Amino acid sequence: MSNAHDDAARMGAVPHWEPEDVIGKMTLKTLLFSNDYRHIAIKGILTSVAMLGLGGLMAILFRTELAVPDVQFFGARPYMQLMTLHGMFMVFGFIIPFVISLNYYMMPKVLGTGRLLWAGAAQWSYWLLILAAVFLIIARPDFTWTFYPPMSLRVGGDYAFLGYMAVTLVAISEFLAGAVMFRNGWEAARRISWSKLPLMGWGAISEGILLMGSTPILGLVGIYMLTDWLEITAMFDPARGGSVMTFMFMFWFYGHPAVYLPLMPAIAVLYTLLPRFLGRPIWNYWSAVIAFSMLTVLGFIVYPHHFQPAENVSGWLQRTTQLLTLAIFIPSTLHVFNWIASLWEDRIPDSARRAVPFKFIVAAIFFLMLGGVTAYVNAQIATDSDFVHNTYFVPAHFHAMFVGFMANMAMAGAYYLYPYFTGRMYNQALANTHFWFWQIGIFSKVMLMYYLGFVYFPRWVVDYLPLSQWTMPQYMLTGAAYLIGLGFIVFVTNIMWSATRGRVAEADPWALSDDAVKSGTTAQPAE
Amino acid sequence: METALGLSGYQATMYIIVFVVLGLGIGALFLALFLPARWKLKHWMEFAFVGLLIVVVWYGDKRSAEIVSAYQGQMEQAGVLDQPAIDGAEGFDRELTVIAFQWGFAFLTDDDEISRNAAIVQPGETILFRIFSNDVIHGFNIPAAGITAEFDPGIERDVWIRAPEEPGRYLIQCLNYCGVGHAQMKAWLVVEGEEA
Repeated sequence: MSNAHDDAARMGAVPHWEPEDVIGKMTLKTLLFSNDYRHIAIKGILTSVAMLGLGGLMAILFRTELAVPDVQFFGARPYMQLMTLHGMFMVFGFIIPFVISLNYYMMPKVLGTGRLLWAGAAQWSYWLLILAAVFLIIARPDFTWTFYPPMSLRVGGDYAFLGYMAVTLVAISEFLAGAVMFRNGWEAARRISWSKLPLMGWGAISEGILLMGSTPILGLVGIYMLTDWLEITAMFDPARGGSVMTFMFMFWFYGHPAVYLPLMPAIAVLYTLLPRFLGRPIWNYWSAVIAFSMLTVLGFIVYPHHFQPAENVSGWLQRTTQLLTLAIFIPSTLHVFNWIASLWEDRIPDSARRAVPFKFIVAAIFFLMLGGVTAYVNAQIATDSDFVHNTYFVPAHFHAMFVGFMANMAMAGAYYLYPYFTGRMYNQALANTHFWFWQIGIFSKVMLMYYLGFVYFPRWVVDYLPLSQWTMPQYMLTGAAYLIGLGFIVFVTNIMWSATRGRVAEADPWALSDDAVKSGTTAQPAE
Repeated sequence: METALGLSGYQATMYIIVFVVLGLGIGALFLALFLPARWKLKHWMEFAFVGLLIVVVWYGDKRSAEIVSAYQGQMEQAGVLDQPAIDGAEGFDRELTVIAFQWGFAFLTDDDEISRNAAIVQPGETILFRIFSNDVIHGFNIPAAGITAEFDPGIERDVWIRAPEEPGRYLIQCLNYCGVGHAQMKAWLVVEGEEA
C-alpha cells in the first residue's frame, strides 16, 4: 500500500518544473526543428492557438451571416467553405494537437521518462499536420468535415483532391502522435509498474490505442476518396457501383474515436492538475483507470450511432448501438464522480481558488456534465429519430464537450504551464476576464443550440425561414460567439503582454497557500 | 396531438431524468466548491451511483426500443417492410412516393400525380412515405410530425406519420448536408381544410 506522498507523486500533486523563460531562449531553428520535448510542445501549443484564432474567426464570420434570416454576406458556397474549414481547423488543428502538446510537455516529468520518447515521430506528426492545413486552405472544400460521398465527390471544387490528400495526411500525423503517446505511457508503466503509473500514463496509453487503431481507416478513406474523385475506383459512389454504406462504417470507425482523441489527453491533464492545486491525491485511482479503459473500448464500437436513423442501422445493430452508447454514461460518471469527490474530501486551498487554471478546470467539469448528460437523449433511437439527428441538438452536445470541456482544459493547461514557458505570471485581471467571457459565452451558446435543436433548426444552412422560434435564438447565439471571440482576444493579449511585462514567477508558482490543508501532502519544493 | 412515434409522455420522462441527473451533478459540484463542511466519500457510494445510472440506462434503452418497435410494427403489419400484410391489419390512409434530389422533394401519389415540394394530405390521416434519393444522401424531417430519417441513394426508406389535425402548411426539410443548395431543400406538408 503506497503512502500519501507516493500517491501525491503518482497523481502529479508535486511540481515538476522551475519557472524559466523557455520561449525567450528559443531560436527560429529550435522552434522549427528541435526535438527537445519543451520545444515540440510549445510549438504545438502556439500553432494550435493560431489555429483556434483562424477557426474562431471563421465561426465569427458565419455566425454574423446567421444572425438574421436571408443571405447577407456570403453565398452558400463560401459559407460552407467557412463552415468546413472551421470544423477541420478546430478539431484537427486546434483541440487535438493542443491537448496532445500539453501531454508532450508534461509526460517526461510526470511519467518520469525524462524526455519525450520518439520525439522525432512527434516532429513528423507536427509538420504533416501543417502540410494538411496548407492543402485544406488551398482546396477550400465545402463538403463539411464528414465529406459524405457521393455529395463530396461532386461539389468539392476543382481542388477537392487536395482536401482528400489532407485527410490522409491528418491520418498519418495522428497515427504518429498516437505512437508517441503510447510509447511514453508504455515505457513509464514498464519502469514504474502499472499500479503506480500516473493517470497521465493511463491517458497516454488509451489515447495511443485510439489513435493507432482508428487512423489507418481514416487514411484509407482519404485514399479511396481521392481515387474515386479521380475515377480510378468507385468505392463510395453508388452511381458507379460503389457503396455509401461502406464509407459510413469506415469513416465513423475513425469519426467516433476522433471525438475521444481530444477527450483522453484533456482528462489526463485534469487528473494531473487537480491534485496539484488541491495538494492531495485523486480520490480513487482505480476508478479513473477503469474509466479510461472503458472509454477506450466503447470508443471503438459505438460509432453507428452517428448515422442511426438510416436504413443500414436497424435491428440488432441499432439496439446494440443504442445500449452501448448509453453505457458511455458509466465511465463518464466514474470520471466526474472522482473529480467531485476529490474536491469535496478536504478544504480547497485559497491558492487554488485564486488560480485561473483551477477555475478553468471547474468550468470544464461543469460543461462535461452539461454536454454529457444530454447524450442520454441523443443515444436513444426514438428521440434521435425525432429532433436530435442533424439538428442543432448535435452541435450543442459536441460544443459543450469540445469547447466547454476540452478547450477549457486546454486553457487550464496553458495557464498552468505559462510560468514554466516564460518565467512570468499571466495578468490575473485579464485572465479572469477571459475566463468569464468564455464561460458566459459558451454556456449561452450551448443552451441556445440545445433549444434550437429541440425546435428542429437544421445544421449546415446559410439561410433559414424567419420562424419566431428560430430568429431570436440565432441572433443571441451570434452574440455569444462574439463574446467567446472577445475572450480569445483578451487571452492572446494577456499571454503576449505578460511574457515580457508580467510579474516574475516564484520558484513554485502554484505552491499551496492555505495552512488548513490537512491531507499531509503539501507541495514539495520544485526540482 | 400525439405523433406517429408517440413520444410526448416518453420524452417528458427522459427530460426529467436528464434534469435530475444534471441537477445532482451540478449540485454536488457547487456543494463541493462552496459548502464549508468537507466530506470524504466512501467508495461504495460511487458504485451505488453508477448502479443507479445502470438502471437509468436500462430504462432508456427499454423505452426507446419499445417505441421504435411499435412504430416499425405498424409498417410490418401493413406489409410495407418486404413482408406480406397481416390479415386484418390496418393499412395507411395514404401512400406517397418521395423522390429526393439536389435540391428538393417530389411527391407521387398512387394515381401517378406528381407534386413538386408539396405533399397534400387530410387532417389526422396516417401517411406512408416511400422515400428514394436519386443522387446523394439526404434527410427527411417533418417537425410537426416529429420524424427524421436519413437515406442513402438507391435504397428505399419508409417512414410513416400521422398528419396534424389542424389544416395548414407544415415544414418538410432535408437535415443532411447534401451540397450548396441544402438550405433551400424544403417542401410543405399541406393539410387540407379551412385554416382557423
